[in-house]
Amino acid sequence: MDWRRARHELGFILRRLAGRRRAERELDEEIRAHLELEIQENVERGMSPEEARSAALRAFGSVALAKEESRMAWGLGSVETLWQDLKFGARVLRRSPGFTAAAVLSLALGVGANSTVFTFLNAVVLRPLPYPDPERLVVIRERPLASGDTVSVHPFNFLEWRDRARSFEALALTQSIPVNTMTPDGAEQIHGLWLTSELFRVFGVAPAAGREFAAEETVAGGPSVVILGHGFWQRRFAADPGVVGQTVVLNDKAQTVVGVMPSNFRVASLEPDVYLPMPLDRANPQSIGSRSFVCYGRLKPGVGVAAAQAEMSVIAGQLASQYPLDKGYGAAVFGLHQYLVKESRPILLLLLGVVGAVLLIACANQAGLLLTRGVGRRSELAVRAALGASRPRLVRQLVAESLLLSTIGGAAGLLLGHWGTQLLLALSKEAMTFGRVDEVRLDFHVLGFTLALSALSGLLFGLVPAWYVSRLDLQTVLKEQGRGAAGDRRHNRFRSALVIVEVALAVVLLVGAGLLLRNFSRLLQVDLGFRPEQVLTMQLFLPYPAEAKRAGIVEEILRRVEALPNVRAAGTIHFLPIGGMASKTGFRFEGRPEPEPSQSLTTEGSVVSQGYFAAMGIPLLQGRLFGPQDRAGSPRVVIINQSFLKKFFPQGDALGRRIVVQWSNEAATEVVGVVGDVRHNGLTAEPQPTVFLLNAQTPRYVTFLVIRAATDPTTLAAAVRHEVRQVDRTQAITAVKTMEQYVGESVARPRLHAILLGAFAGLAMLLAAVGLYGVVAYTVTQRTHEIGIRVALGARRGDILRMVVGQGLALALTGVALGLAGAFAGSRLLATFLYGVSTTDPLTFVSAPSLLAVVALAACYFPARRATRVDPMAALRYE
Amino acid sequence: MPKKPDGAEKTDLLQGTLDMLILRTLLFGPLHGHSIAHSIQQTSREVIRVDHGSLYPALQRLERRAWVTAVWGTSENNRRAKYYRLTPAGKRQLTAESSKWDRLTGAIAQIMRTREEEG
Repeated sequence: MDWRRARHELGFILRRLAGRRRAERELDEEIRAHLELEIQENVERGMSPEEARSAALRAFGSVALAKEESRMAWGLGSVETLWQDLKFGARVLRRSPGFTAAAVLSLALGVGANSTVFTFLNAVVLRPLPYPDPERLVVIRERPLASGDTVSVHPFNFLEWRDRARSFEALALTQSIPVNTMTPDGAEQIHGLWLTSELFRVFGVAPAAGREFAAEETVAGGPSVVILGHGFWQRRFAADPGVVGQTVVLNDKAQTVVGVMPSNFRVASLEPDVYLPMPLDRANPQSIGSRSFVCYGRLKPGVGVAAAQAEMSVIAGQLASQYPLDKGYGAAVFGLHQYLVKESRPILLLLLGVVGAVLLIACANQAGLLLTRGVGRRSELAVRAALGASRPRLVRQLVAESLLLSTIGGAAGLLLGHWGTQLLLALSKEAMTFGRVDEVRLDFHVLGFTLALSALSGLLFGLVPAWYVSRLDLQTVLKEQGRGAAGDRRHNRFRSALVIVEVALAVVLLVGAGLLLRNFSRLLQVDLGFRPEQVLTMQLFLPYPAEAKRAGIVEEILRRVEALPNVRAAGTIHFLPIGGMASKTGFRFEGRPEPEPSQSLTTEGSVVSQGYFAAMGIPLLQGRLFGPQDRAGSPRVVIINQSFLKKFFPQGDALGRRIVVQWSNEAATEVVGVVGDVRHNGLTAEPQPTVFLLNAQTPRYVTFLVIRAATDPTTLAAAVRHEVRQVDRTQAITAVKTMEQYVGESVARPRLHAILLGAFAGLAMLLAAVGLYGVVAYTVTQRTHEIGIRVALGARRGDILRMVVGQGLALALTGVALGLAGAFAGSRLLATFLYGVSTTDPLTFVSAPSLLAVVALAACYFPARRATRVDPMAALRYE
Repeated sequence: MPKKPDGAEKTDLLQGTLDMLILRTLLFGPLHGHSIAHSIQQTSREVIRVDHGSLYPALQRLERRAWVTAVWGTSENNRRAKYYRLTPAGKRQLTAESSKWDRLTGAIAQIMRTREEEG
């Protein structure tokens, strides 16, 4: 019964609301009909038409009131007033476009910055990985107990783990490998992934067409089969649905296609072109490599990462006591998601904090602006209150205004956030891997976050002034007519506090930005140990089992390239410095007994050609470089770097000594030279002891050409490519880049950090300056009368200027002091991002607040100058 | 016509009383606003005189509560007019209101009489 009635009433209201115009029209018509009938009757009773009309109107009472009350009965009352509030608010905002633009813009900037950072955080950190039960996916790595870091997995250990561990539903081993394939346009190098058959179970995915690899296929001597990646299938097979069963030639070998992976499938962050069975040999696992594999696992339901870690630690302990290979190694289990975001997460969280501070400053500014305006409108509000507007109604009006502001600001912020996202994506292309770019997009989470944020800030900076105004004694206001009074002082204190907080936050951000900027400039000054200018590099992949063939091809290519015009020197190295890859090898001194495995010596190792040092610009310090006499059959030779010399030959007597390097076929090799140190592992990593082996004596499968040009190195690329093709038609060339590009990439991330924090700190400083300006300007307006009196009493321009600027600066300096304290406490958070710069870097801690003080001075000066122009006569007459 | 002769009645009409009077008037068949106003006036022998205008919000209230329904019809002077008809729910409401009213007036009458006797 009640329900039916409620439904009827709701229907009535909705019909009236929807047919609003019609309802109004019908009411008009009804009333008109009533009046006409009444007039007609009055005339029939003998009145004159005028008399009849006025009598009818008298009997009816107020037509407007009847209509108004009817509308109330329609239940439109609250909707109506809200609408009126909004309409009135819009009119008020339109009337002061400068204020409105400032308010909307600063809110939009604050919200936009937050929206951008949240878009990234959402895509990278918050959104779950696109696999079934993604929280059960883990990465397992080996952990050398001596260092805190983890390393890739040895295939032998993978086999042991797979046999022993009970925590996992499945464990899979993978390795990325380059694959050469022929296209009509020549050779192309594509991205292949070696995998064991469990990979499909681990990621919970099956090929979209065809079948998975069977367990007996991913072993040594397995069949020549391949599964295609979706993108590669579309690109190279034009998405041919009948591709399964066809053959494709990879690395000069025909392979049968047995499946195609679904679109958008990735193995963690990789999107391989082809999936190949890993030739894992149970009896001889190291035949495919050593600690260079990636192990993924799927936890059994109900087993957590910690439990799996506990089990793996036990297993690793057993292995370490059983096998020399595992002496000193543990195992580390990471949640896959956590592992993938560990690089971008800290900076994103830091940025979220930074943009949060920017938004806070923007909000404080808004609160200040609205408060000032609210006080300026006291008379208007008092008049409206006197005319019968209730206090809640006034507050509601003010809140509706700020809600309107925050909605517009939020919408603009969403737009800015969208642009900001595009900008940040472009900026961070080299510096960070955020997973797939199309995953960084606006979704409902971002939309909700942005709207909630702007609504919250609307309330935050709308309620404060409304609360303040609601406490005004309106009668006093009317009497005073806006002269300075006790209420103003309270209001000023509040605004001053807001400005101090703004300045303090801005100082904290400026110090942070300064530290990152100093960090970046330090990195640019780091001595690389080689000369990256005018050096072109490209990657070769030589999939030939015969060593002589690999060595021969490289030598022939180098001979031809060196003969090209504009080439000063050419060489090869198997992993480029600061290219992100390094190799380690064990070694011992000849004549000394083989040490215990735990005592075994390791060094970084690079395999280079004769001309490498000249091409890369690495100086020779002692002895000689590799020469034409060093060849495949000649005595083995090795060159060491300065760090190796210092660490292992502290007397400096390395030349002529012989060491046994595992990589160099376990043969004794003679040290013939010492070269300068190179920062191989990045600008921030100290050079490591390194041995250089000769490619002719230990040829590699993958190597990089390094060519020093006499001119712009990029102009050489086509000619070099041509020569390579002349030597080996099936050779695919990839990663054609200059060394300067590698250097640029290695500082891309610190540069991005400096740019981002610099931009946000600049924004914060600007907003804080605007806030300070607002307070000082308002004080000047308020004290016009007082200043007039001072001038009349003989105060000079300089006195007035000093007085006003001094008061503004006092606020700013209080903020600076607070901000410095905050920065001292907070800069430790930046420690992980800094290299060679202390978190309490004195230069930064002096210059950042100084900059802000100068800006604050400017913000105070302009309103102060206006104060000096006060005409005492006008100011006093104004009363 | 005298100017506001019974202004007191107009403003002092008890809250809800007008609604009851309208329902009562409609008991004998559908009427439009103008006839309702005159009917109330005449039946009360001109004692109660309502602002005709105040009928309309009341009628909207009654329609909203589904105690009356409205249809457009043709009036005596051949104009379109809205006719209000009592619904069964409206009839029940009228019965409830009248008995409440009877009890109230009875009680008030009782009090007034007692006072008079005492006085």
